[in-house]
Amino acid sequence: MKDNRVIGRSANRVIGAALVALMCLSASAFAQKSKPTAKPEPARAIVLRGGKLMTISHGTIENGTLVMENGKITAVGAAASVKVPKNARVIDVTGMTVYPGLIDSETHLGLTEISLDTTTNDLEETSDAIMPHMHVYDAFHAESDLIPVTRMNGVTNAIVAPATRDTLPGQDAFVQLAGKSSDEMLLVRDIAMPLNFTGAQRRNESFQTAKFPQTRMGMAAQLRQAFIDAQDYAQKLADYEKKAADWEKEKKGDKPSPPKRDLKLEALLPYLEGKRPVVLAAEEPSDLKVALGLAAEFKLKVILNHVSHSQILLDEIAATRLPVIVGPIYETPKDDERYDSVFKLPAELVRRGVKIAFASYDEHNVRNLPYQAGYAVAYGLSREEAMKAMTLNPAEIWGVADQLGSLDVGKTANVVVADGDPMEVRTDVKRVFIAGHEVPMESRQTRLRDQYSK
Amino acid sequence: MRHPRALFLLGLLLLAAGTLAAQQPAAHPVTKNEVLIKNGTILTITHGTIPNGSIYIKDGKIAAVGQTVEAPPTAKVIDATGKFVMPGIIDSHSHLALDNDVNEATSPIVPHMRMEDAFHYTDKAVYRALAGGVTTSLLLHGSANMIGGQALVMKHKYGLDREQMLFPGAPPSIKFASGENPKRVYGSRQQMPSTRMGNFAVQRQALEDARDYMQQWSAYEAKAKAGDKDAKAPKRDLKLEALADILRGKFLVQIHCYRADEFLTEMAMAREFGYKVRAFHHALEVYKVADKVAAEGVGMATFADWWGFKHEAYDAIPWNAVMSMRKGVRVAIKSDSDDFARRLNQEAAKAVRYGGATEDEALRMITLNAAWVVGVDDRVGSLDVGKDADLAIWNHHPLSNYALVDQVLIDGEVFFDRSLPGYGMPHYKEGQ
Repeated sequence: MKDNRVIGRSANRVIGAALVALMCLSASAFAQKSKPTAKPEPARAIVLRGGKLMTISHGTIENGTLVMENGKITAVGAAASVKVPKNARVIDVTGMTVYPGLIDSETHLGLTEISLDTTTNDLEETSDAIMPHMHVYDAFHAESDLIPVTRMNGVTNAIVAPATRDTLPGQDAFVQLAGKSSDEMLLVRDIAMPLNFTGAQRRNESFQTAKFPQTRMGMAAQLRQAFIDAQDYAQKLADYEKKAADWEKEKKGDKPSPPKRDLKLEALLPYLEGKRPVVLAAEEPSDLKVALGLAAEFKLKVILNHVSHSQILLDEIAATRLPVIVGPIYETPKDDERYDSVFKLPAELVRRGVKIAFASYDEHNVRNLPYQAGYAVAYGLSREEAMKAMTLNPAEIWGVADQLGSLDVGKTANVVVADGDPMEVRTDVKRVFIAGHEVPMESRQTRLRDQYSK
Repeated sequence: MRHPRALFLLGLLLLAAGTLAAQQPAAHPVTKNEVLIKNGTILTITHGTIPNGSIYIKDGKIAAVGQTVEAPPTAKVIDATGKFVMPGIIDSHSHLALDNDVNEATSPIVPHMRMEDAFHYTDKAVYRALAGGVTTSLLLHGSANMIGGQALVMKHKYGLDREQMLFPGAPPSIKFASGENPKRVYGSRQQMPSTRMGNFAVQRQALEDARDYMQQWSAYEAKAKAGDKDAKAPKRDLKLEALADILRGKFLVQIHCYRADEFLTEMAMAREFGYKVRAFHHALEVYKVADKVAAEGVGMATFADWWGFKHEAYDAIPWNAVMSMRKGVRVAIKSDSDDFARRLNQEAAKAVRYGGATEDEALRMITLNAAWVVGVDDRVGSLDVGKDADLAIWNHHPLSNYALVDQVLIDGEVFFDRSLPGYGMPHYKEGQ
């Protein structure tokens, strides 16, 4: 109320008028609501005609046409062979490149707005290192200004992960970067769980403030104990269920009571059962070995992450046949590594038959994902594999390839139109469709641009 | 030291010792050095692109550039067929090779800090940037201080001695910083400044102190000149001496600054105290007041598209560089990062993407304009006769994301060659 005192008379008048307007508005909204709603027009098909279609799954069609209806891709093929539906909105994309929406395999989108402003950050619960019961979906902010900035450059889907200062910081979500609400945008709420073992999780700031785990030994011991506790919890649950089933048959004696619910241990169960993958983050060969050892001990389903400085283990990584989220390739090489050792990693992994995916590991700069892929091409990766590592590969790795990752009939219509090679910085993205809806090419940044261009 | 020219340079060096006007010239003997680069696409920056052109280098300088050039048969030939030759990239805002000594964050006014005293010249980051085509960097003090330390200009001659890596004759720069960083650093310790009001009050007081110090000295000198034997010289104070040199115009003033209002305040203060601002660094909101910045002749060294990392970076837009350039501001794109320093060509390409800079305009942001910010544009930053032969040979057009550096020459000598085994560096010694 203190603030009201400094508002002058004229300001009060303005506010009064605004209030009246607001009331009118809500009244009319109410009136509208009570009227029978007009039947919505059936959504028109959208046709992209004459573009270069990078289908990812079945090559490039030079003069192709793509049809989107009801949020799905309903036709893809040579322009001459695709039948254009009646009443469709036809967009001429001659000279343009058309490709599936890009998928970023690790971001912090929706968990932060301004990095240094802690009040805008929901990146991580750092009070403890073992936090598997933290769910990104509980914090994902659908209205973040970062999201329009990101999708305007053709990134339509992303893994949202907590930050990486904890070994088990919580569970990742898989999002679509357009939608009316977080519910609509969260395609898979708990898709995977990061298990971070890079050394950065040590709580060793100083001897005065250090707390467990202060070392890698501590990290490993704490992780093992957490999984053992979860196994024990699973056993207790199973024992109870058996007892309860037995009791139901005979109804003799006291009805057995279930063990007290423990959300933290419960959150680990799908991973112990191999129902969902663990994203195993390690950079150094030594850490990778420890992390893989832990995963084997508890039979975890694994997606590898980073492996930035594990050049000497590339053959072993390939032998595991595990997919790898690689990079970021901008990670600085160690002093004994050649300047290009990390830049070359994607090409070296693919040469050994590893399925890779790219990630920005970022929030404000997720839009630059395709340039990382392009730079990997400069260092030996084929263009086809580089595009796949932002589309079909991550779709397969995350289990959503039936919906995303390529221009194929039946998939969600996440489609990007650009005026050139998607991996070149100079290429301009012209149109983005998410679930068949054209996303406005507007963001906080374009509004500022336009405001100051007048 | 047998080379007579080197002896001459050494003499100059001794003469210059103790003065602040210039860095020490390299004592490295200039080898007999004749190189002919031929059949390349030459991106001159100042006079267009020469397809299938040649460059003749003599004694470390560009002696001829053109479709055809005269060169003696003794010159070492580099065949650049199918390749692109551009000037070495100039990074006008870097903190590499400074270990953890970037910020003397114990007082908001530390103009007497000299980055040369922390120059960790064997840092591998120097080599990694070199492999990305960077030949010169301005190593700046950090941004915790309203008036920070004195910068160093380095040539990326990785593998040579410390003195040989200093850019000979480069003018001295000094770092200023305003906005969130100083107020956060000192405010978090319950010290002044903790607000933007405090920031500028501290800066203004320091400059007033410098005026006072200069008056004490001129009063003393006047007395001494008049033969007053009792005249006592004021005590020398390194901090005030450096501040006085700012007022005397001896430094290029490089100001870390984000917000539109702060550009205006900094320019007003510079007018008030009679020094010139060379460039705003980061400068993410210049697009809002570009005409005013241009009118003052102040340049800018900015990120291509970084934003949102703090409040004063929340209004950053990737069109900033080109919008400001179109209003007449001299724009450089810089790294401020050991990572970006390795791929500044890709950052420059964003100026093409966001706002439609021409290829020449985009490349100028990481070459000639950046050289101007550093104050060495008469020496490097374009492929012109008489300039230092600092250049990079690329396998594709350098604004392409697929482009890699094949070779880097500095003063006509090869300092990086991608085809070499090991680290790709002819001057590198194991254990460095």
